[in-house]
Amino acid sequence: MLTHMTVILGIMLFAVAIIFLEVPYMLRKRLKKELWVFSILLLLAVGISSAKALQRDIPTPLDWITAVYKPFTDFLTHIGLIK
Amino acid sequence: MVSKQVKISGRQFMVLTTLFTIGSAILIIPSGMAFLAKQDAWIAALVGVGSGFLLVWIYNTIATLYPRMTLVEIIETLLGKWLGKTISLLFIVTLFLSGPTAVLYDVGNFLTTQIMPETPALSVNILFAVIVVMGARLGIETFARSAELLFPLFILLYISLVILIAPEIKLENVEPVLEAGIGPIWPAALSFISVLFLPHIVLLMIFPAVNRIDNARKAFFNGSMFGGLMMVLIVALAILVLGPDLTARSIFPSYFLAQKISIGNFLQRIEAIMAVMWFISLYFRATIYIYGIVLAIAQIFNLKDYRPLILPLGMILVVMSVVIYPNVPYQQMWDGTVWLSYTLSIGLLLPLLLLCIHVIRKLLSKKRTESKG
Repeated sequence: MLTHMTVILGIMLFAVAIIFLEVPYMLRKRLKKELWVFSILLLLAVGISSAKALQRDIPTPLDWITAVYKPFTDFLTHIGLIK
Repeated sequence: MVSKQVKISGRQFMVLTTLFTIGSAILIIPSGMAFLAKQDAWIAALVGVGSGFLLVWIYNTIATLYPRMTLVEIIETLLGKWLGKTISLLFIVTLFLSGPTAVLYDVGNFLTTQIMPETPALSVNILFAVIVVMGARLGIETFARSAELLFPLFILLYISLVILIAPEIKLENVEPVLEAGIGPIWPAALSFISVLFLPHIVLLMIFPAVNRIDNARKAFFNGSMFGGLMMVLIVALAILVLGPDLTARSIFPSYFLAQKISIGNFLQRIEAIMAVMWFISLYFRATIYIYGIVLAIAQIFNLKDYRPLILPLGMILVVMSVVIYPNVPYQQMWDGTVWLSYTLSIGLLLPLLLLCIHVIRKLLSKKRTESKG
């Protein structure tokens, strides 16, 4: 449990460092949209990192791509381009 | 847009294209091809370069039809604002998940299984991601210059690998030629172009940064063919020296190839020096991917500056590199099946769709002007 907390603390510290590095520049230049996209990406990064730190196996997003591409993959296998 | 001001020369673009072509392929491609086509893998690689010729021609045609436009801008012009942005976003997100993260996974996997078995892959990935993020943040001019600087070293290592391994060649390893007919050639050739040429679609993001369009076309073409032929030689050497079975069974055949170097029992164990070669090519592949993806995100959301997005994206990149493949069999399944259909859809179907829409729009606008006149 303690190790989990330290890892998450480390992730938070890293995120804070990124904020200190990037946000003043964006505020100075009044880059409002950039700030939005930046915040969403950083939230996503912190979220995924923490999830990975708390739980060893989180589902791979490649499974979704596999599911979407299944008909096309099957077709290519059928005509012999994928073995 | 930042991308409009920065300029790289045609030669720098050629070097970047060559390094992007060789990229992670030099480490992983011979194994899968030897598994599919056995001793004929080198023929499949030649077929792959032939199809790469056509693919690069398609990309060049699109880039020439819309000069000074990146891929995302071309998609938006042709498909309209909302559909274009949606398709671009889907394309970029999936490319991020399967492109640069896989390169980073390869770096970690290679180092921890072959050179530093005690080190966790995550720490290697973090170190590598830091320099990738640095390169992408400093911009294309900077990393194009560093590519130009490192390219002679890369070529030197490549040539010394080829020359030093040449005495080990056994010609009987490629016999009998075309034992199973030409059937197994096609899947092996597809796996070749799926790593070497189909991801070149992302280079259309940096195409407009080249100072002259005719230079860019020539550089794109020469770089791809140069890289492709260098890879044909690597595949052929792996088959000639190790034989098809050993090549198919080892995960990193070119590293195994470098281990085989032994000149008079004196010059040997130089594989770690040779590994510098793949670090250079893997680094530029990852950096070009990340730069193209970040630029694409900035253009999809109409941002003025792409740089603030790189650090959070780098953080996601590191986590994803240990998340995407739960284990090595999953990675091999992915590389052998879904990766092929995915890259075919973005690298062949998407550009063909764009060309079709371009032609249809041209015909419609012609008809409209004719009916008016």
